[in-house]
Amino acid sequence: MSKSKASGLSRYEMLFIVPNNYTEDEAKSIAEKVEGIVTENGANIVFREFWGKKKLAYVIKQNHYGYYSLCEFDIERNALTKIDRTLRLSNEVLRHQIISIPVVSDEERLAIKEKQTQASKNDKKEEKPNNKEKISKVVTKKEKKDEKKDDGKADLKDLDKKLEGIISAKDLI
Amino acid sequence: MSNKKPKECFYCVNQLDVDYKDVRTLRRFINFYMKILPGNRTGVCAWHQRKLTQAIKRSRVMSLLAPTHK
Repeated sequence: MSKSKASGLSRYEMLFIVPNNYTEDEAKSIAEKVEGIVTENGANIVFREFWGKKKLAYVIKQNHYGYYSLCEFDIERNALTKIDRTLRLSNEVLRHQIISIPVVSDEERLAIKEKQTQASKNDKKEEKPNNKEKISKVVTKKEKKDEKKDDGKADLKDLDKKLEGIISAKDLI
Repeated sequence: MSNKKPKECFYCVNQLDVDYKDVRTLRRFINFYMKILPGNRTGVCAWHQRKLTQAIKRSRVMSLLAPTHK
């Protein structure tokens, strides 16, 4: 809650789950309905995102799956309790959570998502070179073995030549 | 006798904010039993560790993360 703001509005983010007994289209309409409830209480919706059907980490009221939906809005703090109460009473929303967040523009929001994906990618990259090193080590070992084999062959050839020389020489006896 | 490597804070290095919706990165700071790892195990700085524990608890409420291992 930023006290510096004169208007008293601050940015909030709400994530809510619609139970699985609705179809996806119905869930979308319910999400719009919920957003309608939010706007009725004097909120200005800034961002909305429908995540779609996801598996819940644990069962909520015998639901294994749920439709997640996210929306960000500017609202006065006092109006939040009304939204909270109405959503708690409704059967169309399994669970919801309202959290205060810093004000973020659309570009920044995209940048954050990119950063998150990049961070996870970077970690994978760090792991890969180790594997390559191991592979290269194995390769060098194999090469060494080949070299050894070559040496053996060369030795045999030399021996053959020597033997031939010895045999061909008539001064043996 | 500690074999611990000096770790850097994941969020400081990647210049990321802790987000309770980003389950993929939160996973790395959680035990097999879905317990929150302590700061000395995660290597995250104290300021971010506080945000991290809050975020994990929030994602548990929204069933993004399981509270326990089955």
